[in-house]
Amino acid sequence: MMGILTISKWEFRRTRLSFSKKTLFLSAFLLILIGAVSFSVSQTGLHMNDKIYKVVVTDPALVPIIQTDDKFEVYFAQEDEARRLFEQGGLDLLIIKTKIIHTSSESSISALDALDKAILRYDEARLLSYNDLNNTFPVWITVKNIARQQVFQSPSVQKLPEIEAVSEKTAASTPVIGKTITPEPGEIAQIPSIREVTEIKKGSRSPIKEQALATPSHFDPPIPFKSVVLSFIFIFPIYFIAQFFSSSIMEERVKRKGELLLVSPVKPYQIVIGKFLPYLLITLALVAVIAVNIGGSIWIVLMLLPVALIFLSTAFMGAIIARSFKELTFVLIFLSVFLSGYIFLPAMFANIHAISIISPITLVVKLLENEPVSISEYLFSTTPFYLVSILIFMFGIFIYREEDLFTQKPVGSKLLDSVQEFINRVPMPVFFLSITLLPLVFSLQLMLIVLLFNVPIRIGIVVFILIAAFIEEVVKSAGIYTVFSRKIYPVTTGNALKFGILSGAGFFAGEKVLLLLVIASIAGSVFGSVMGIGLLIYPLLLHVTSTTAASLSLKGTGNYLFSVIFATVIHAAYNLYLVWGVVFG
Amino acid sequence: MLHIIFTLYGVLFLGKTMVIAKKEMGSLLQEKTLVLAIIVQLLIASFSSLLVIGLASFFDPSALDKYGGQRANVGIVGEGELKRFIEKSQVRPYYYHDIDSALYDFNRNKIDAVLVMPPQDSGSSEIIQIIIYLPRSDIKGTFVTLQLKKPLEEYEAFVRDVRNPRIGFEPVRLYVESSHRKTSTYFEFIYGILIPLLVFTPVFISGGLIIDMFTEEFERKTMELLLVSPVSFSEILDGKMLTAVVIVPVQVFLWLALVRLNGVAVYNTWIILLLISIIAVIVVLIGALVAVKYKDRTISQYMYSLILILLFLVGYLFADSPFNIVTRLSSGAAGIETLVYSSAFAIVALPLYVYIRRLQIS
Repeated sequence: MMGILTISKWEFRRTRLSFSKKTLFLSAFLLILIGAVSFSVSQTGLHMNDKIYKVVVTDPALVPIIQTDDKFEVYFAQEDEARRLFEQGGLDLLIIKTKIIHTSSESSISALDALDKAILRYDEARLLSYNDLNNTFPVWITVKNIARQQVFQSPSVQKLPEIEAVSEKTAASTPVIGKTITPEPGEIAQIPSIREVTEIKKGSRSPIKEQALATPSHFDPPIPFKSVVLSFIFIFPIYFIAQFFSSSIMEERVKRKGELLLVSPVKPYQIVIGKFLPYLLITLALVAVIAVNIGGSIWIVLMLLPVALIFLSTAFMGAIIARSFKELTFVLIFLSVFLSGYIFLPAMFANIHAISIISPITLVVKLLENEPVSISEYLFSTTPFYLVSILIFMFGIFIYREEDLFTQKPVGSKLLDSVQEFINRVPMPVFFLSITLLPLVFSLQLMLIVLLFNVPIRIGIVVFILIAAFIEEVVKSAGIYTVFSRKIYPVTTGNALKFGILSGAGFFAGEKVLLLLVIASIAGSVFGSVMGIGLLIYPLLLHVTSTTAASLSLKGTGNYLFSVIFATVIHAAYNLYLVWGVVFG
Repeated sequence: MLHIIFTLYGVLFLGKTMVIAKKEMGSLLQEKTLVLAIIVQLLIASFSSLLVIGLASFFDPSALDKYGGQRANVGIVGEGELKRFIEKSQVRPYYYHDIDSALYDFNRNKIDAVLVMPPQDSGSSEIIQIIIYLPRSDIKGTFVTLQLKKPLEEYEAFVRDVRNPRIGFEPVRLYVESSHRKTSTYFEFIYGILIPLLVFTPVFISGGLIIDMFTEEFERKTMELLLVSPVSFSEILDGKMLTAVVIVPVQVFLWLALVRLNGVAVYNTWIILLLISIIAVIVVLIGALVAVKYKDRTISQYMYSLILILLFLVGYLFADSPFNIVTRLSSGAAGIETLVYSSAFAIVALPLYVYIRRLQIS
């Protein structure tokens, strides 16, 4: 423990020292500028799609009206001239007095819709200026949201149209999560029924202030857009600090400063934890500061802890395996894009769909909207993050040693090294490796569900089955590949059989444990049954068979990719057979 | 000026610069970093389209077509003028006498929403209050919302027609003879977000790349070796910059080709490539400047990211920012006349370039 703390102190001092006063000053200056610019962007609105549509009108009164929307470039001409211009092409709409003429081009047709919206906004803005709501906005809607049990209908997909089928099933996947089913009168949520309408004030000509409207034209699904944008601010400190962490590790490797520490009696895990702690603490402190400043609950820190962990752990792994700064940059960009997608995409659907709970950012959004978060929701969305981060740290620490840190080994070979370390240290390694890597598989598959959410369900399920099977087969055969390619055990048919069975059984066992822990709610849905839940004996046979097939093929051909694909085909064929009847009737 | 023309000549034809450029290109290819870069851009593209198309379908009545005409079951409590608008619409109404029995069926999933008719009517002067109960965090709530929106809007228009004359308001009325209506969301997303994103991501990546090229030389102390060799600092600079800049239009060209393969028309490809190359020069120069100033990767990348965020935001402040010009160029709303902007940006790049070449490396 002392060792860890000492290293933390060193690391903290080092990072602080590398920032000179001038640098700090400049970065503060840039941050203030960024703040100022984002403020003015929020005031004037984003200039996006400006002048993308070109319209020619014959009525001069229309010019200022259409110009309230920056998307339009408006020309004025007499009728003959206007017609001639329009026929020349390059213009999207021709408006003769009050009659709109359009072409069949994409831009013309969408200009039509954009014009509709612009006029609607213009009219509403004018109506608002009357300051007489009873006569201008006579119809108001109050929405009351009630939590109720979401049904799981047996999937007679034949009758169910495409999207609905997915949503119903995935909706059923996380039915209540800690909420009571029957709403008593008091439980009816006091969701703010009036949504703020900021767009209205677009166009400086219109004399409107920000006003809240709850009229039919603003009766839209409750997308928590504002809260998601707000929660995006948190990602900046997390991302930057992870960058610093990886840079520190990489710098040590490049400058060979870390060599001394490695030969000291301090254990590698102590060095890594010691280096990582200050970064984690700074991240959490920054998150807390932001949370307080934007008026959010301090619980946000707890929601973002797993997010910070996963960014830091992947940054650490990236810094260990990269051969150069360039490679590190790319690995980090890749990881942050992937992770941001994973956490932000579901959050957009926070009020719309229960599946959104797989992302901790959804919980942040809920907190920002003053909605409660239950413990089971927290566990459901964060457990995979915690487990995967620990896993990544563990495998990273395995190769935190001279031969991997200070050599130019390719990425793949370093990953094999870390698996080999696992095999050397753990009893029954092939069995437990499959179990250990399960959280990773689980997270990737959840991500996959989100990505395939918008694809028509039939294609979605087939693609999901194929990719999910591939991921599982890669993980299950990783240990076997390491054992054979590193010659830890002799490459014989007997060993191939033995390891195939062990690995498959391990994966099966882990899956069942995980099932008990977290994903009981996904079982029963079509996606759930693809994830291998349901019957007991068949999944066991399946995992063992496919992995053994991979193992034998690996022994025969020595080609890893081929063997994994071979196993994937077996695996996917079985799963497809299982859900074929359900999906394709 | 002559100096610059000479340098440009040197960039293109002098051997030593090419040696450096070749070395950098070689390490880029060997580490397969470009492959990762392409995957990153693919991810960004698919995430953003998933997000926007996904969200758009929640605001877009035509998304209902996907439901194959399935009708939402809505419980109606009470009587009123609104009734005939609802009966005309897509929703399937179920009538109840009181709210309790309606909510009972709602909780048993028989109906997906409960609408309480307003006691006020259009002729009165009071605000008409409609109460709607929806299931929380349930896709069905969204579904009902989309289907109810249209009759409610029609009802609002009806009430407005009765009440607006009281205050002498005349709405803007335009007519169109068209049966096929389509939302503008997709068009505006493709040209306003997706294409600029695809076009500018390679630029941002190249800026980060040049920082790594420099800071790595500094931190591995190989820069000193290079400088005592017959290669001058400006040649090193040119060589590295050449690599970082050249890969931008290549990637952009591929992206635009890919977009076109997907059936999206992209106009003015060559003007876009010219514009983006000039922007790439500016961003790479900024990256190089930061790297040469700080020599430390952590700080350089951090500063570069801050500058990038700033530039990105500033880009949305102006109608004629590079993003918007790319939008207009690719959608065909603008053409050759935007070369004015390209030259303006080129003028920005020149002093930066001259300045960085004058820097002395110790």
